[in-house]
Amino acid sequence: MEKISGAQALMKSLLREGVDTIFGYPGGAIMPVYDALYDYKDSIRHVLVRHEQGAAHAAEGYSRLSGKPGVCMVTSGPGATNLVTGIADAMSDSIPIVCITGQVTAAALGTDAFQEAPVIGIVTPVTKWCYQITNAAEIPHIVAKAFHIASSGRKGPVLIDITKDAQFELCEYDDSIQTITLKSRHDPHFAKKLDRAAALLNSAKRPYVLFGHGISLSKAENELVQFVEQGGFPAASTLLGLSSMPKSHPLYMGMLGMHGNYAPNKLTNKADVIFAIGMRFDDRVTGDIKKYAPQAKIIHVDIDHAELDKVITADIAIHADAKEFLAQITPLIKSRKHDEWIGQFKKLDTEEREVVVDAELYPKSGEISMAEVVRIVSEKTKGKAVIVADVGQHQMVSARYYGFENSDSFITSGGLGTMGFALPASIGAKIAGPKREVIAIIGDGSFQMNIQELGTIMQEKLSVKIIILNNRHLGMVRQWQELFFEERYSFVHMENPNFNKIADGYSIPNELVEERKDLAPALDRMLKAEGSYLLDIMVKRDENVFPMIPSGAAVDEVRLK
Amino acid sequence: MRYVLTIKSENAPGTLYRIAGLLLRKKINIESLHVKEIDRKKHISLFTIEIFLSTHLMAKLIKQIDRVVEVTHAEYRRMQ
Repeated sequence: MEKISGAQALMKSLLREGVDTIFGYPGGAIMPVYDALYDYKDSIRHVLVRHEQGAAHAAEGYSRLSGKPGVCMVTSGPGATNLVTGIADAMSDSIPIVCITGQVTAAALGTDAFQEAPVIGIVTPVTKWCYQITNAAEIPHIVAKAFHIASSGRKGPVLIDITKDAQFELCEYDDSIQTITLKSRHDPHFAKKLDRAAALLNSAKRPYVLFGHGISLSKAENELVQFVEQGGFPAASTLLGLSSMPKSHPLYMGMLGMHGNYAPNKLTNKADVIFAIGMRFDDRVTGDIKKYAPQAKIIHVDIDHAELDKVITADIAIHADAKEFLAQITPLIKSRKHDEWIGQFKKLDTEEREVVVDAELYPKSGEISMAEVVRIVSEKTKGKAVIVADVGQHQMVSARYYGFENSDSFITSGGLGTMGFALPASIGAKIAGPKREVIAIIGDGSFQMNIQELGTIMQEKLSVKIIILNNRHLGMVRQWQELFFEERYSFVHMENPNFNKIADGYSIPNELVEERKDLAPALDRMLKAEGSYLLDIMVKRDENVFPMIPSGAAVDEVRLK
Repeated sequence: MRYVLTIKSENAPGTLYRIAGLLLRKKINIESLHVKEIDRKKHISLFTIEIFLSTHLMAKLIKQIDRVVEVTHAEYRRMQ
C-alpha cells in the first residue's frame, strides 16, 4: 500500500465523511494539514475566518442549516484556546461540530513549547468527546469516530488534537469504512411507558405540549405537527424550538421562558398533563422549579438519559429520539379538540397583545422600536428567512416577533448565551443554505464582539444581510439594572464607532436608519441587494422586553409590565 | 451519604479526568480512588471511587458519568 502523510490521510478522511466546507485559520502547528489542503481546494471550500471563535460559531451555523457536523480547523495554543467559547456554546445547544487543532510535536508536549496549550485538558469539560492523535495511522479511525460521536445520540462538539509530527508522518491509509459502535442504553419498559403516556394524554382535560431543539435536531417537525393535530394539543416552544412549528399554526401557542409569551408561561401552571419533548427544562424556561407545574402530570421525552429527572421529576420519563417517538405515539392518540382550554390561551394572548405587543409593533411616535423592525422584516420576507440572532434584547424581540413559517429558520445561542455568536454563525448558515435569505439581527454590543468577521463576509462574497438594532446600550443588562438594581446603570452605555464607515471599509453596502419613515424603504433596499448589506438602525435606547418572568419567580408570575 | 461508585470504561487516557471533572462541577471531593485494568484483551478499566453526596444528587450524577463516551457501565451503592 502506498504511504501518505498524516495530513493527507486527514484530508481523505474528511472527504469520506462528506466534508465540503472547513472554517479555519492556519498557523504553525497545523501547517502540514494546510499544505495538504492546498491540493484539495476543488473539493473542500476553506473559509478563512478572522478569529478562531468565528470559526467555531460559523461551524455551528453551518451545522444548523446543513444538518451535518460543521468543521473548524485551527492551530495550536491561542488558535485552539480561541475556539473554546464556540465549543462550549455547541455543547450547551447540542450542535454537532468537529474541531481540528494542530499541536506541537509529541516530543515537545508538556515542555511549554512555543504555542503549546494543553488543549485536551482545556476542552474536556465542554466537549462530548476529544482525542489527541500522536500517530498518523490513527487518523482514519479517529476521524470516523469523531464524526459519529458528534452526530449521534445527543449531538455535540468533538475535538481532535493532532501533533505536528503525526501530520508529517507517513502511514498506510486504510480506506475501509470504520464501523463505530457506541453503547446504547435500552429501556426495557419502553413499550409500557409509550402506552401509559398515550393513555395519560388521551384522558387529559388540559394537555399541553412543550417542545425544544430536539425537534429540529432529529428532523421531527412533520411528526410534531401530526402529533399535536391528532390530539388537538396546544403546543409551545422553547427558544431553540422556534421555527420547528409554523407560528401561524392554530395549535401553536407561543414561546416559553423568561421573555416568552404570556399565555404559554402562565398556563404551564394550569395544565393537567404536560408533554415535554426534546427540551431540558432550562432554568430560563422553568423559573422557580419548586413552583413549576406542581398540579401537572409530566411526560418527558429526551434523547439524553441524563436529562430525564435532572431538573423536573417526570411522572413518565422516556429515553427516546423525538422523531421515532412521535411516529410511535401519534397512532395511539385519540382525535380530540380542546377548544375551551385553548380559549384560555387565546384570552391571555389578547391581554398580552393589548398591554405589550401592539404598542411595540406599531408605535406611532418617538424612536424606532426593535419590535417594529422585526415585524417589518417578517412581513417583507413572509416569515421565510433564516434569522440569526445574537444575544440580548434584540434576540428576545426577534424570537417573539418574527413569524417563522419554515423549519430551521432561527439560529441563536440559547444555553450559553454567547454574545458575538450571530455574525460568524450567519456566515456558516449562508454557506450551508445559499438559496435561503440569511438575516443576522444583532445588537450594537454583540456586533462588536466578533465584528472582525465582516472581513470573512467580504472575502467570501456572502450575501448575508446584517441588521444592527442599535440602542447604544447593553440593553438587557440595562433593563435588569432598571428593574432590579434601582436604576444604577453600571457600565451599560456604549459609545459606538460609526458602523457605516466600518462597513465601508469592508466594501459592504450600508445605510444608517434614524427615522421611522426611512425604515421600510431601507429594508427593501437591503432585501433587494444581491450581496451583503448592513443596516445600522437607531432604536429606542431604554426599551424593556416584556413579558418577563423575574429571576427566581414562578412561571405564572410572569409580568406584562 | 457516603457512596461508592463503580465505573467500567475503556482504558484510555483522559477518562479519569473526564469523570473527575463531573465531580468537580458539583464540588464533590474524592474520598478514595482506585483504578485498574480488569480486562486486558478488551482494555477495560474499573474505577472505584468513594464520595460524599446527598442522595437526591446521586442518581443524576451517575447518569452524567454513564453519558461519558468511554464509560461502558456505571453504578453506585451506599456505604453502611
